[in-house]
Amino acid sequence: MKTQSLLDRQAVIVLSLLGLAAVLVPVLNVMTAPGSALHISDHLVPLLGKYLSFALLALSVDLIWGFCGILSLGHGAFFALGGYAMGMYLMRQIGPRGVYADPILPDFMVFLNWKDLPWFWYGFDWFPYAAIMVLLVPGALAFVFGWFAFRSRVTGVYLSIITQAMTFALMLAFFRNDMGFGGNNGLTDFKEILGFPLQSESTRIVLFVLSAVALAAGYLLCRWIVTSKLGKVLVAVRDAESRTRFLGYRVEHYKLAVFTVSAMLAGLAGALYVPQVGIINPGEFAPANSIEVVIWVAVGGRGTLAGAILGALVVNAGKTWFTGALPEFWLFALGGLFVFVTLLMPRGILGTAQDAWTRARARLPSRSAPNALPHAAE
Amino acid sequence: MISLRNILQAFVLLLGMATCAYAGPYEDALPKFAADSYSDTEAALGAVAGSGHPLSLSVVEALRDGRLLAANGQIFIREPSGNLLNAVTGQAFGPAPQNLKAVRINNRVRRAVEAAMGGLTLLSSDAGARMDAARAVFRSRDAAALPTLQQAIAKETHADVKQALESARAAILLNQADVSPTDRLAAIASLRSRGDQEAVALLSTLPAGAPPEVAEAASQAAAAIRSRLELWNAAQNVWYGISLGSVLLLAAIGLAITFGTMGVINMAHGEMVMIGAYTTFVVQELIRAYAPGMFGASLFIALPLAFLVAGSIGVLIERTVIRFLYGRPLETLLATWGLSLILQQTVRTIFGPTNREVGTPAWMSGALEVGSLSLTYNRVAIVVFAATVFVTLLLVLRYTSLGLYVRAVTQNRRMAGSMGIRTNRIDALAFGLGSGVAGIAGVALSQIDNVSPNLGQSYIIDSFMVVVFGGVGNLWGTLVGAMTLGVANKLLEPYAGAVLGKIVLLIAIILFIQRRPRGLFALKGRAVEA
Amino acid sequence: MTEPVTPTLLYLDNVTVSFDGFRALNALSLAIDHAEMRAIIGPNGAGKTTMMDVITGKTRPNEGSALFEGMHDLTSLDEAAIAELGIGRKFQTPTVFDMHTVEDNVLLALKDDRRPFSALFSRRTASERERVDALLERVRLTAHRRRKAGELSHGQKQWLEIGMLLAQEPKLLLVDEPAAGMTDQETADTADLLRDIAKTRAVVVVEHDMTFVRDLDVKVTCLHEGSVLAEGPLDVVSANERVIEVYLGR
Repeated sequence: MKTQSLLDRQAVIVLSLLGLAAVLVPVLNVMTAPGSALHISDHLVPLLGKYLSFALLALSVDLIWGFCGILSLGHGAFFALGGYAMGMYLMRQIGPRGVYADPILPDFMVFLNWKDLPWFWYGFDWFPYAAIMVLLVPGALAFVFGWFAFRSRVTGVYLSIITQAMTFALMLAFFRNDMGFGGNNGLTDFKEILGFPLQSESTRIVLFVLSAVALAAGYLLCRWIVTSKLGKVLVAVRDAESRTRFLGYRVEHYKLAVFTVSAMLAGLAGALYVPQVGIINPGEFAPANSIEVVIWVAVGGRGTLAGAILGALVVNAGKTWFTGALPEFWLFALGGLFVFVTLLMPRGILGTAQDAWTRARARLPSRSAPNALPHAAE
Repeated sequence: MISLRNILQAFVLLLGMATCAYAGPYEDALPKFAADSYSDTEAALGAVAGSGHPLSLSVVEALRDGRLLAANGQIFIREPSGNLLNAVTGQAFGPAPQNLKAVRINNRVRRAVEAAMGGLTLLSSDAGARMDAARAVFRSRDAAALPTLQQAIAKETHADVKQALESARAAILLNQADVSPTDRLAAIASLRSRGDQEAVALLSTLPAGAPPEVAEAASQAAAAIRSRLELWNAAQNVWYGISLGSVLLLAAIGLAITFGTMGVINMAHGEMVMIGAYTTFVVQELIRAYAPGMFGASLFIALPLAFLVAGSIGVLIERTVIRFLYGRPLETLLATWGLSLILQQTVRTIFGPTNREVGTPAWMSGALEVGSLSLTYNRVAIVVFAATVFVTLLLVLRYTSLGLYVRAVTQNRRMAGSMGIRTNRIDALAFGLGSGVAGIAGVALSQIDNVSPNLGQSYIIDSFMVVVFGGVGNLWGTLVGAMTLGVANKLLEPYAGAVLGKIVLLIAIILFIQRRPRGLFALKGRAVEA
Repeated sequence: MTEPVTPTLLYLDNVTVSFDGFRALNALSLAIDHAEMRAIIGPNGAGKTTMMDVITGKTRPNEGSALFEGMHDLTSLDEAAIAELGIGRKFQTPTVFDMHTVEDNVLLALKDDRRPFSALFSRRTASERERVDALLERVRLTAHRRRKAGELSHGQKQWLEIGMLLAQEPKLLLVDEPAAGMTDQETADTADLLRDIAKTRAVVVVEHDMTFVRDLDVKVTCLHEGSVLAEGPLDVVSANERVIEVYLGR
């Protein structure tokens, strides 16, 4: 019996490339001279780290959209919540080095004349607690949201729209000063993480490597899920939801489980993003951001996992290049990408490549399996 | 014989009367202004105001504005134009005296001046001036104005002014200890019928020593006014809600058509609204340049154009993109999102990223006062317009063959197709119709919102909420959805604030969809299962 | 398996379902015994599919009761719970998981712990493998086991779906138009297969194809406007005046 193994060729390639990046980027940054063609400049390291955190976010979207058919237009919310949890830790680490030099209260609270730290900020000075919250807060929100949505069988575009409403509501909420998350400006001016200064080169390299490791771990987790029987049930739900239900599967439990896991991955991505970018603000909740993530996945190839990573990297590299070289054209390019991919390349880069590969193999009869040929299509 | 003496006496008497009139209280009082003492000034003011002399109003005004001047015991008025008048005669005065000094006033005098002004203009021939005067007295509660007030009330013919005068009298009577309880109760009743915030404030100033029945009546009247005010306030909020609901209805109704017929979520719908608004801008620019006289009609010219522009872009989008994506609603959603980015950026490239100025025709400015409600004409126009669009669409869908086909496709696409309806043609037309309606919504929204490339983005989520809440395939659902959301939003605002109110509403809708996944007015039965 | 407490496996009593005033089922009563095969016929809109919806928990009746094994109230359970009780359903249009291989389709249907967590840690056992092999053999798809289900022909999909139903090991199978779109030979084979299945399980077949119903040679219930019009052997039912009038035609 043919079983999809956890580590197939694709997985090996993805993991090797990530490992290579984790080694090569620091080496090229430290060992080569600034003028050299191979040199990776100091500002490029956190930029690449940011791409990796986006890739993890894309992976989380692919897990639910590609394998379970849940198109979330609000995954940016989970990403931002993870980011805020990390931002709160970094904020508390500033201590008396803020502008107002208050040992406990972050600057914006002093500015708002707050006397005490709000209860939900308690504990965030302790890294393990913050790290748990990075996963727990997005996970809990996804669980509650999903419990309501999936139980009442909200599907398709309706689900997409209410996820969008969710992130929109959160954006409005986080823009409010009274929420206690820094309002408009968000959280920024971070100094150090676990005692290491964020501006230093070595910290940035470590953060980059950690992003690569987290992405690899996230990838393996997703692989494990989609190659297990759970993953098969998810695909079954995607393709024929009521059939799955009549087979006795509680579809809502499956959706809820995978949605929650996906939200936690997104939260982790946000937590990696914040220290490398140095800021988190309510703009991260903007519905447009969440939709953009979906297009990364679509570009790379929905339902392939590796494609999500590829898509996130390609689109974001494109974005960096465009906003530098032709800023007015970026939105044209992005908009065009949405139309092009959905219309002409629905399987994305990786899916299209896989199809081409399968077709090429099918032409070589000696290598193809005896019943792989579609002869029975009457 | 009538003696010469008698005649003389009579003449002297006449002369004496004339002289008396000549040297009346006005003329007697004037020199006191020159004394440079506040109490003299106040006394003079009282006398002048009570004199009924034709120049008294000018003197009081001049005093208020620091244009009443004194030199060598003589009093002059400097007109706003700079001419110097003799205060006694009202004649222009030649070269200004050297030691001309303004008559000084302090706060006490200033209050007296305000009261005197009120009293003086109470008898003005201009109803507007009388109204202002009555309001001024109402605020100052100056007992000195009472006689003039009585006089004014007696001869007032204008109902509104009379009411204002009466409440001014009531305001004075209420605060005077020596007034009989009956008069005071009448005053309270009068204030109660006035029924605004100022009346409540006034009632609360009732002196502590008032008889119990008066105090009781006052507190009852205050409570009655308060509850009435709350009612009006709620009504005002409902009106704001209806007007917001109309805006939402305009923005969402086109979406409801496309979503209803094709199950397609058109994320570029907001951009159709934006394009409609920019069409209005272009039309107005052209009118300003070539036919300024037609500005009042600019919106009526823009309406069909916006419909055509947005509608043809809609058909174009349907023919080039959406028709290839039928049966894949999520992909359609992504593709139309991409289109929305392209449209936004196109408009930003052509018209620039900043807000463009869209003018409001004169007939849309001003407000309609209904009781304590203030209905601005542009809001009224939008409510009426939204209702017109709604009814028109309802009729189009009910009575035209296009409407019949659209409804058939909405209810059962496959069946409609097998009945010979060319569903893809209907799709294109329905999409064009929905987009065109969005375009005319843009014309309306250009009147109340900033016309910028982001205009559409700010409405798209709200429009979705309306459609999702109202349910698909039924325009009434869209109407109910839009109005419910609009009114709920505005009723929540006073308690929760604008942002929190909106958040509460979004959460409410998210929870609502759990209960009724297909909205308020969902299609039921077999058609849905297919 | 415990012995049944009543002789009836499925018992519908006075079931009424209305959509916006339209009565899809009108005081329908029906009883199916253990290991009984029943054919349901009737014109379009007679309520055949709605009846299946009620039995499988997709639609909640406005009135009436639906009991399974005399103790389970089907009107208060959801689809998954009803499936786990032992009611399997085949749709009118064959519904299989197109992107999964034929054997994965069967594997997913195998009676097993249905919770997500156990699915995540589930490993394929030798006994599962044997059951899959046996089922594929029975629905004649062994040769196609590695192909994607989406590539199968219409008839093969119908059989795969029946195979999946059997993998659930249900006590009652609801089969909606199994012969639709099949060749004569396939139709005859399907009738054989169903008769074979009915030796150990109860089967309710909804079918329009009268030849097929005749092949099954079982008790027939004719529905019309949401209630039972006639019930009995096919010859008796097809001789019924009303049945001829509303369904068979003269």
